[in-house]
Amino acid sequence: MRPVYIAGAGMTKFGRSEWSLIELASAASLAALHHANLGDHRVDGVVVANMGAARVNRQTALGSALVDQLALYPAAAESVENGPASGASAFKVGVQAIASGMADVVLVTGVERMRVVNGLEGTDFVASLSHPEAEYIYGVTLPALAGMFARLVMDRYGVERRHLAMVAIKNHENGTKNPYAHIQQTVTMEGILTAPEAVVNNPPIAEPLHLFDCCAVSDGAAAVVLVSGDVAQRLEHPSIRVAGIGQATDTHAVHEREDPTDLKAVRLASEGAFAMAGLRPENVNVAELHDAFTILEIAESEAAGFFPRGQGHEALERGETKLDGKLPINPSGGLKAKGHPVGATGVAQLVELTWQLRGEAGARQVEDAKVGYACNFGGFGNNVVATVLKREDG
Amino acid sequence: MAKADELEGLLRPPAMELPPYPPKVITLASGEQMVVRQIVRDEVSVLLEAIYPLLLVERDFYDIVSARLFGELLAYKRYRVKDEYVLVGVIDGVLAGMVNGRMVDGKTGMSYHTLTIRRGLRVGSHLFAAKMEYHIEYCKQQDVLIVAESPIGFRRWMIEYPLEKRFDVQHELGGVPSWVLRSETYYRAKPRLVTGRRPVAEDLLARAATIVLPEEEALVRQVAGEKEAES
Amino acid sequence: MSDHVYGAKCTSCGAVSYPAHAVCPECSGEVFDRVPIGGTGRVLTYTDVYALAIDYETRFLRLAIVELDDGTRATGQLLADEPKLGMRIETRIGVVREPGDRKILGLQFVPI
Repeated sequence: MRPVYIAGAGMTKFGRSEWSLIELASAASLAALHHANLGDHRVDGVVVANMGAARVNRQTALGSALVDQLALYPAAAESVENGPASGASAFKVGVQAIASGMADVVLVTGVERMRVVNGLEGTDFVASLSHPEAEYIYGVTLPALAGMFARLVMDRYGVERRHLAMVAIKNHENGTKNPYAHIQQTVTMEGILTAPEAVVNNPPIAEPLHLFDCCAVSDGAAAVVLVSGDVAQRLEHPSIRVAGIGQATDTHAVHEREDPTDLKAVRLASEGAFAMAGLRPENVNVAELHDAFTILEIAESEAAGFFPRGQGHEALERGETKLDGKLPINPSGGLKAKGHPVGATGVAQLVELTWQLRGEAGARQVEDAKVGYACNFGGFGNNVVATVLKREDG
Repeated sequence: MAKADELEGLLRPPAMELPPYPPKVITLASGEQMVVRQIVRDEVSVLLEAIYPLLLVERDFYDIVSARLFGELLAYKRYRVKDEYVLVGVIDGVLAGMVNGRMVDGKTGMSYHTLTIRRGLRVGSHLFAAKMEYHIEYCKQQDVLIVAESPIGFRRWMIEYPLEKRFDVQHELGGVPSWVLRSETYYRAKPRLVTGRRPVAEDLLARAATIVLPEEEALVRQVAGEKEAES
Repeated sequence: MSDHVYGAKCTSCGAVSYPAHAVCPECSGEVFDRVPIGGTGRVLTYTDVYALAIDYETRFLRLAIVELDDGTRATGQLLADEPKLGMRIETRIGVVREPGDRKILGLQFVPI
């Protein structure tokens, strides 16, 4: 396998957009291509990550559409759909193309434009990833699965609502330092939990999860440009190496999981990524986790290997995962504050890590970040892709 | 001038004696303090200025709500609507949202509109609840007739309180079959839907005394969404 | 309309899986007998869902994952006024979703 590098990264501001799906995708793509400054090198392939276009935007064959918009023909192109893990899966496909020697330059773009439908339609669409006979017919939605997971984890490990609130507060704070983040609003413990008004400010969504435990629905796009070692050498900027990628699946119906509190696929995917990279969780300086629900940031931080099982909330409470802590988690604001255009998220995590490792993260820069880790959580944890990126100096 | 005054008297609706709405303060998710208070007629011009840029924003039914609210506020200011009230939410003096309605009689209220300017902090939920609080707890009414222009927002209230169908009654807002919030239901829902602290501290009240408008560009952008995606 | 919800019993190793799979997760067998899922058990976890899916007009929906006494697990609607982790339940079949004018039957859990 040849080594693969990220040469450039770009994204649109996440939020509500008037732009079309392809306009969003091409804006992020152009930003990444300019950042990569490829000179004469041609793009061999384009991989688009997206979950909902066929249903929500009534558009298919996005890979071909984006190639056309960017006049990149005759480059190879396709779309990848893996639910909320579409982004990292598309990234994996791009990496494999270069690692195998089949391509030298691949553009990977994730995009989602969900706000063309109302909240009910949007919820139903995302719920379509649940098991049709064993879950969906009961009115199961992604928040419902997260709520059941949260209750069990909180009961077993002593995680409390105030820990969930800490995740929200931290990520909202980080979001205000990220000009691309959807939500630019800080929240306080008083406002979302302890004040009597919190019952209206932060109503239940799927108990014990409340409004501020759930990420926003956003439109947006994010893109990275992947290159081979030869191309990377000829470009004049820091090389961010794709050190490791791991992927693992688990049962579809959540009730069939061996241990419904165990994010087994996160653990296996992370072990795979670290093994390939020849690194360990302790080597990671900055992480982007998939906090579609605040409880998931805590649970993933354990399953990925950063904290012992059942102790993630204690590390959070000690401030270890804040921007100035030992292991900053979600400096971008996470899905919670940055937003979650489903297909774009996995790629956006890698965009943030690329900027962090290149020292380009502005007000939210993690000092001397050399190794980054991302976890893209598909389904409700039944399809996870984990990535390790490393800055190679000199 | 007696003749003109007489005419004016004919054109004005009779007015009930209504208790004033006692101001309250609400801690929002951001930790900011929002003062909810009633306005006086002189303050209508400021509110009209805030609404004006929203008149053509189609997203989320802002255009029709703004247009109707504009008319209702003018009518209130110029004494052409019976027993209308307007409540506003202000954060550090800056307008965050407004609600209005009127009294049909001692027993029945007619809810008009809810307009949120500062989004993402449940301002609309707080102000709608304050409206209901005014009708039922302070004006001692039994029923409040309600409809809405936006289906998704309304579904939330319909299910949350819950509201009941009173379809034999045509609501003033376009003759749409009306829903109703009954006083019993209000009291049962109150612990989870109505919050706020009274009395409001002197200095907070003083800061809320003059309504300041949010910057127009920021207002439209927040309400209407981004015109462009940056990259 | 069926009175039961069915899982699959592997004819090679006897393991019951619900939902059914094409290949037995235990022994990789590919031949199954249809078996009804139900009986008594306990609540493993539950949630009250307020952000409802399409087709639902209640204020919230109470859902649970249960572990039945025979070891199988299932997801369904919990019809308990005071839910508790570990509470004993029994299953029954009822209308769990009404898309348009259809009535979909599924598992409901009632306290015992």
